[in-house]
Amino acid sequence: MNIAVLSCIHGNLAALEAVLQEIDQQSVDKIYCLGDLVGYGPYPNEVVARIRERDIPTCQGCWDEDIVDGLNACDCSYPSLLAETRGRLAHEWTNQEVTPETRAYLANLPLTLQQDSLCFVHGSPHSQHEYLLPETSAFIAMERVLATGADTLFCGHTHVPYLRHLEDSHLTLKVVSPSTQSPIPSTTPLPTLKRIINAGSVGEPRHGRPNATYIIYSTDTQQAELREVEYDYAQTCAAILEKGLPAIFAWRLSKGLEYAEKADDPTHVCER
Amino acid sequence: MTHWAILSGINGNLAAYEAVLADLKRQRCQVEALYILGDLVGPHPQCEALVQRVQQPRQRELIPQVCIGWWEEQCFNLHSMGSDPEASELLEQTGADGVERLWKSVSRETVQWLRSLDFGFFEFDCLLIHGSTVGCHDVLTPETPPMQLLDRLLRADANTLFCGRSGLTFHLQIPAGAVTSTVTTLDAPAQTMTQTVRDRQIVGVGSIGRIPGKATYTLYSPYTNAVSFRTVRYGTQGRGFG
Amino acid sequence: MITVVAGPCGAGKTTWILQELAQMPTLAVYVTPGVDPVPIDATRVAAQFPQVEIFHQQSETELLQRLAAGVPAYFEIGFQLETDMPLLEARPHRRVALAADENRDDDWQLWADKVIRGNQSTLDLQSAQLWRAPLSGQVFDPPSLDTFWQELIQGAYGELHRAKGIFELADGQAIHLNFVDSLPGIVYTELNLPRWVQGRPQRFSGIEVVGQGLDKGAIAATLKDCYLSDSLLAAHQTTLRDSLSLEAS
Repeated sequence: MNIAVLSCIHGNLAALEAVLQEIDQQSVDKIYCLGDLVGYGPYPNEVVARIRERDIPTCQGCWDEDIVDGLNACDCSYPSLLAETRGRLAHEWTNQEVTPETRAYLANLPLTLQQDSLCFVHGSPHSQHEYLLPETSAFIAMERVLATGADTLFCGHTHVPYLRHLEDSHLTLKVVSPSTQSPIPSTTPLPTLKRIINAGSVGEPRHGRPNATYIIYSTDTQQAELREVEYDYAQTCAAILEKGLPAIFAWRLSKGLEYAEKADDPTHVCER
Repeated sequence: MTHWAILSGINGNLAAYEAVLADLKRQRCQVEALYILGDLVGPHPQCEALVQRVQQPRQRELIPQVCIGWWEEQCFNLHSMGSDPEASELLEQTGADGVERLWKSVSRETVQWLRSLDFGFFEFDCLLIHGSTVGCHDVLTPETPPMQLLDRLLRADANTLFCGRSGLTFHLQIPAGAVTSTVTTLDAPAQTMTQTVRDRQIVGVGSIGRIPGKATYTLYSPYTNAVSFRTVRYGTQGRGFG
Repeated sequence: MITVVAGPCGAGKTTWILQELAQMPTLAVYVTPGVDPVPIDATRVAAQFPQVEIFHQQSETELLQRLAAGVPAYFEIGFQLETDMPLLEARPHRRVALAADENRDDDWQLWADKVIRGNQSTLDLQSAQLWRAPLSGQVFDPPSLDTFWQELIQGAYGELHRAKGIFELADGQAIHLNFVDSLPGIVYTELNLPRWVQGRPQRFSGIEVVGQGLDKGAIAATLKDCYLSDSLLAAHQTTLRDSLSLEAS
């Protein structure tokens, strides 16, 4: 069975259409989405409608949550004052734009999805706001996969796609006290291979090109393919200006720089 | 050699705290610092007296360094200063009766003082905290999966983590560990590296007030890295050290 | 000896003068007309060589005294200014032009006594725009400034040819940022000035941008979004003073 995994669409309808069109030309049996359907981009309602129309199982992203619960993320969500100002502008605009129907749909999205040994989350199993980056400590990465009980963890949120294999792991734990327990160090046998697969971003890429990215994964061969799709981003840029969103969003999108930027502390978890 | 005394979970139990202070005075080793890792307060009639005792140490007593714990967070919630204004976690764990008892035990003035306390302390390579950097509710025990324990150390970039949420005394060591990681990106071929850890530890510091008549706490020497636990039995009727 | 230095925008005039000053054991004078109220180069020179006297006008009495006394003097002529200076008509001086091979047109050859290889300039003087603004008293959130600067030099606010500025940062340090489109990267230099740890810095900072089709309004608005508020600045400075006194003790 082949599955396609998308993430971080951010109201960019043209990018979503292009990705769906490409998926339709591949032999894909099922599509999953890792959230952040809205925020920054000009078409939040249309993107949600498209995802619902295609009946794509979706988990809730941090932007989806903020639109439902109000912007109450702690300051650490923004790496700079500039990013914060822009993020707030985008939030206020999106908050005005979304219909009650869109909001209700976003409110009911689950935080995680599971299919057999595959788990799907937006940021990490612990928080929609946590970044699992390629350089995140391999132990922390391993803990996140183990916490789900799955073998393969699909995530997004960083806007740069990657595949990560974690193997040959061992960890020794010695109980010094209470002494009733065995004083002999026990080396925990850890599973042979765990995977983290980051789907990148459909609508707000950060890998330095404006192209949309997503994943095709085969459950038979357990191979994942990073896909990059060119689309008419100028269409989205024009809509950004037309709808009164900040012009800098259009410029950044066209450079593959993301609208704002990512937080720089991957292990920080928001105290909401 | 000088030591740190590390306490947690007093829960307003003044008699237990007095018994531990008395025990500290009896120590042959020099104690240079006194940490209280949260849960200073709780639904206890002597809570206000205990807070005063902690705020105003007597002559030649150490000034306690206190951080917030789970019960402090519940007080913040009750006084609309916390992240859970409905106090649903407290209600779930103690029922309406518990909510009322906590409300009566801690004055608003005290809550305001509690609000000024730190979330935890970082000394040398040690993190001293109530739960973990994940939050005050985070319970770590010897049964916690080892990778999760290591995660709590790595998140804080600490070699030793002292915590109090479980109320248990325990000392766990992680002598060694390794994970091999291979990352593939759009623009770079697969890169493999092996990450290792060594010599980390997690200490459950015990609880002063949770079990009537029996207080447990931790002595730690940051110079020799030695951890020892103390158990102090005390009578609630002034029977003294048992 | 009086040296007059001229050349296209971003050729490296100030950098060349700094190299000359570094080899000069005696007192010297640096004259940079027409830059008020944004004396970026003069501030850079003064930070690196506190003993060098700076003048912004040609006709100051003290400057005339220094010239009469034979103090070595460097005149830096901005690319947008006339190279003829009445003050120098009756005084012997050497003329140095900084220009890349591609920019050595007849004008420079005719004017200069010596042409030194400088950075290439592709600026079309007809359509070039110059925008500058004093920023004194403003303190920047470093990651915000970094984002802004990257956007600026990559063309988010118009086609950029040259950008330079002196910025005060949250850690009390003043920095000099320098970008020329014909050179790779950004030159980032911490100015040799004391950390400003109390209140808004009472010293010069500012920005100068040269390019085409510049969206000056957007540049100014984005800069404003990078400023620290009074309360944030106070919080930073409190931490800063604590850590500095810790270092000192």
